[in-house]
Amino acid sequence: MDKKYGVYICTGCGIGDTLDMEDLVDIPEEEGVNCTTHPFLCSKEGVALIQKDVDEDKVNAMLIGACSRRVNFDVFRFDNCLVERVNLREGVVWPHSRETYPALTQEQKEDEEHFDRIQMKAEDYIKMGMIRLEKVKLPVPYKPESFSKKILVLGGGVTGMAAALDAAKTGYDVTIVEKTDALGGYAAKLRSQMPVSAPFETLQAPVVDKMIQEIEGYPSIDVRTGCEVARIAGQPGEFTVTFKKPGERIPFDVPFPLPEEMMVDENGKELDPEAAHAKFLEYNEGRLDILQMDPDGELYGAVILAAGWRPADLSKQGIDHLGFDLPDVVSNHEFEQIAAKGKIMRPSDGKPAKNVVFIQSPGKDGDDADFDYCGSVTSQVALKQARYVTEDYDDGKAYVIYQHMRTPGLQEYFYKSMQQEDGVFMTKGAVTSVETQGDGLAVTAVNTLLGDNLALKADMVVVAGGMVPATKDDPVVNLAYRQGPGFRDNDIFGQYADSNYICFPYETQRTGIYAAGAIRRAMTIEESIEDAAGAALKAIQCVESANRGVSVHPRSGDMTFPEFFFQRCTQCKRCTVECPFGALDDDAKGTPKANPTRCRRCGTCMGACPERIISFADYTIDSIGSQVKAVGVPSEDDFDEPPLRFLALICENDAFPALDMVGLNRIDYSPDVRFIPVRCLGSVNTIWIKDALAQGMDGVILIGCKHGDDYQCHFVKGSELAEIRVKKIGDALSSLALEEERVAFVEVAIDEYDKLPKIINDFVEEVDALGPNPFKGF
Amino acid sequence: MTETYLAQPDLGFIAQMRGLGGDTLKKCYQCATCSVACPIAPENSPFPRKEMIAASWGLKDRLLGSADIWLCHNCGDCTDMCPRGAAPGDVMAAVRAAAITEYAQPKALAKAVNDPKKLPWLLGIPAIWFAIFAYITMAHEDVMTKLFNVFGIAWSHAHEGAEHVIAQADFFSTWFVDLTFVPLAGAVVVIFFLSLSRFVGDIHENAVKEGKTDKKSIDVKAFLQALGRVIPLILKHNKFNECGTNQERATPHMMVLFSFIGLAIVTGIFFIVLYVFQTPGPYSQLNPVKWLANIAGVALVIGSGIMIKSRLDNKDQVTTYKDWYILGVVFSVGLTGMLTEMARLAHLEWITYGFYYLHLIAIFNLFAFLPFSKMAHLVYRTTAMAYAEYGNRK
Repeated sequence: MDKKYGVYICTGCGIGDTLDMEDLVDIPEEEGVNCTTHPFLCSKEGVALIQKDVDEDKVNAMLIGACSRRVNFDVFRFDNCLVERVNLREGVVWPHSRETYPALTQEQKEDEEHFDRIQMKAEDYIKMGMIRLEKVKLPVPYKPESFSKKILVLGGGVTGMAAALDAAKTGYDVTIVEKTDALGGYAAKLRSQMPVSAPFETLQAPVVDKMIQEIEGYPSIDVRTGCEVARIAGQPGEFTVTFKKPGERIPFDVPFPLPEEMMVDENGKELDPEAAHAKFLEYNEGRLDILQMDPDGELYGAVILAAGWRPADLSKQGIDHLGFDLPDVVSNHEFEQIAAKGKIMRPSDGKPAKNVVFIQSPGKDGDDADFDYCGSVTSQVALKQARYVTEDYDDGKAYVIYQHMRTPGLQEYFYKSMQQEDGVFMTKGAVTSVETQGDGLAVTAVNTLLGDNLALKADMVVVAGGMVPATKDDPVVNLAYRQGPGFRDNDIFGQYADSNYICFPYETQRTGIYAAGAIRRAMTIEESIEDAAGAALKAIQCVESANRGVSVHPRSGDMTFPEFFFQRCTQCKRCTVECPFGALDDDAKGTPKANPTRCRRCGTCMGACPERIISFADYTIDSIGSQVKAVGVPSEDDFDEPPLRFLALICENDAFPALDMVGLNRIDYSPDVRFIPVRCLGSVNTIWIKDALAQGMDGVILIGCKHGDDYQCHFVKGSELAEIRVKKIGDALSSLALEEERVAFVEVAIDEYDKLPKIINDFVEEVDALGPNPFKGF
Repeated sequence: MTETYLAQPDLGFIAQMRGLGGDTLKKCYQCATCSVACPIAPENSPFPRKEMIAASWGLKDRLLGSADIWLCHNCGDCTDMCPRGAAPGDVMAAVRAAAITEYAQPKALAKAVNDPKKLPWLLGIPAIWFAIFAYITMAHEDVMTKLFNVFGIAWSHAHEGAEHVIAQADFFSTWFVDLTFVPLAGAVVVIFFLSLSRFVGDIHENAVKEGKTDKKSIDVKAFLQALGRVIPLILKHNKFNECGTNQERATPHMMVLFSFIGLAIVTGIFFIVLYVFQTPGPYSQLNPVKWLANIAGVALVIGSGIMIKSRLDNKDQVTTYKDWYILGVVFSVGLTGMLTEMARLAHLEWITYGFYYLHLIAIFNLFAFLPFSKMAHLVYRTTAMAYAEYGNRK
């Protein structure tokens, strides 16, 4: 593309009143670029002005100096043009006022003592914007060669069926894969289920049969029972799936990555890529490499993971005090099976069980924790099963002893309704023992609502077992990905299928795979059905994005994707290892193979690459690096006491909006900081930090999202990786006699705009105390 | 550690309380708003929260023998503030009704009093009883005079030379009145004595178990002293007034209580006047005792009338048969009494007798069923309050 530049500066919203427009306009003009000002650029007239230049073919790469790019993005959109927005409003004139930083007189402008910090910031931003325009290109979308819009659903339980129905109703072809011989999952084995609709008060027959019937009415739903996935290879839009019978061993079973201890030789030295690959093949004997495509595999566009859960094994939870070895002490799962058969009878002698105690927590050691994998669902199940007792026997009594009774949302009505049952008795408490007494059982509990020591007589005791997600035992998805067949971070979520829990609940760390139902967290049937709808919509979004070559989420619609300059690749594998989404598979030599539709365009690979060979069309090492270099760094040659200069690389997902809010609220902070928004802190290549310090900037601050177990990073790992990289750069700085404190890393949440000015000012002060960068002026 | 409590929920008791107006007993989720809201709950083991959990579990043993249910004056603050729509006030009232039935003997009678289907019997039996003796009084004066002369007692309590005056004794002999009510009063006292001795034992045991008392046993003398300290407070309605929302209820309650006291005094005086001084009624309206009688009678009608009205107006509070029964009886006693007197003064002889007949039936209901009806609260609450005073419940 032959770029024709144009600069448009809006003088409205206080920009023209605060800034010296003549000086500002001079900057592009000196470069020979036409600069137009307009008092109301986002008005019809203002936009028409730009559109006219575009139509007359005068401009196709434009800089718009006005408001933040987070507003009016739809107004300043010109097809086939590069648009760079320079944030003069929220970034310059709103936070920094002339009351705080008075304009200079003509005399002051010429001396070497005074400088205008607001004007300097605005001029730097114009320069930075212009250089970026020069360095980036218009993206061309990636389109896969083969493509499928079919949706694969793993699991034929309520969630899987609901997702399949939702997708089928929207017009998509769906395949349901169910390991067992019939659809229905756990819900098919229930006597009754908790209510799924208003008034949420009574038990109802399981919805399973109705759903199975409905599925039979859809020819677009292909049901495969007694079937599982051997591997899912490729990428969204063109997943190549190999099916097999459960338990079967076939060459297309997914291989597992080498365990870490096998990645090194006898001397503890890391194996070279080829040796590692040989070892990998040896380790996975009988299974083909991930890059080997199954010629008989079937093509799918997206996958919904609804593999559900299994009842927890209570015998392994150290609860001998609850008499779990006694025949009449059963798990809630076993109780459900008894109830499904007919009236509740004691397993020991087949007599009616009219007094049943439901135990919700182990109650040992003063700990109020519930059993593993218990939650609101197990609370509600206890209520439901208590109702079975009063349903079966007029004189039935059901006791629920809990540490937590969780009935979220409208299920509170269910709780209220069960509480109204004359024969249902509930108390908080810790059960200390279950023992045989005469013909029945004796249950004792402490710390109850009825006093310190409570005793109950029971015919049967039911212990609340949790719902263990299928992902605890098995990767389930069996992805033929270099990073491994399952999700990497399930341990953060107690082995539930991971997802960006806070921001994007259905999205796993694997694009195109959407988890729903009890594999994500314990859910009721009602919740599972709703969750399935969410995952189905996500799967549809995925295929409808992949087919246009745009990113699915969170950068929905982004047409760029990582491009590699392979001649310089050293096969270090850092990109394949660090990509949070497993988008890159390296080959036998360790050369990365990109799978663009798996990619979320965060740029973590770009930040990782020590050779700096990864770039995006409009986001490159050079484009940001040049912006850094475009920042004017005044030295003693310019002023007697030159101002310090700082670089802030700010995550555009949460921190940058927060900074806009600072501007919106007209809160001042040091105007000596130049902000460059980045896709994610994960995309920050340390070369930018080195460049900044090398050209005399006094400090660099990285501002991004919170990481850790409850991370808010939109790209899961980005801010965490950035912090590691910043720590590593500290050593390099010391060797240059630069203080480590000159580079800082901070986390902010999107709603913490009020904290941001102090964070910035504190950093500026801290660096100020260190004195100016000794490299200044070199 | 306290001793282990074996909880034995009683489904029948739960059903009983639902019937007695405590149908919200299962709604409680133990937030304790009620106990915080209650202006008179003691700090140590306050009510009605613990009563609510016990009620929802149907723990009859914990509730009926607890003095705490009687310390509640049913102001309804707890019910108003309950975030869950439960009505602890009504549940407490239901528990009290169940407790009265529990302690009263004979049980069948206690059950009948709380059963609207038995009302025709409760009214019919005294109606027949009084009809028979009215007939004897009027039709067989000669026989009775002879019969009494055998024992050397004068039959007639009529004024000498006062034939022109309407006297109830001409319709229904004073002898019969007293031969009905004096033994009845004796029976009531015996029943109460039996009930109370069990009741006091139970509330003491319960208080010891729940740590609500500092006494190990009942010292009769100290207990009576405590009773002596409590009675003036009851008369002044101190506790009643502590319940903020109760202030409107305190006045009519006080009117009814004091009118009963007034009428008891009047009855006592006239009893003595009749039997000791041999001066039969009716007495002059100028007599100060008669003033007291009239004031008390009016207060009884007005007080119980206000109570009925506020029950009708108050939609938040549950009013069940047991409440209407006792209010009806009290109001009828006052109203028929006053109407009898007015008809007599208006020289309407047969109307006077008619009202007097109804009056006797009402009084019979009041007295005979005192240990079984809600009226028994008079005795149980006083005892419970005396026990709380005795046991230093704070």
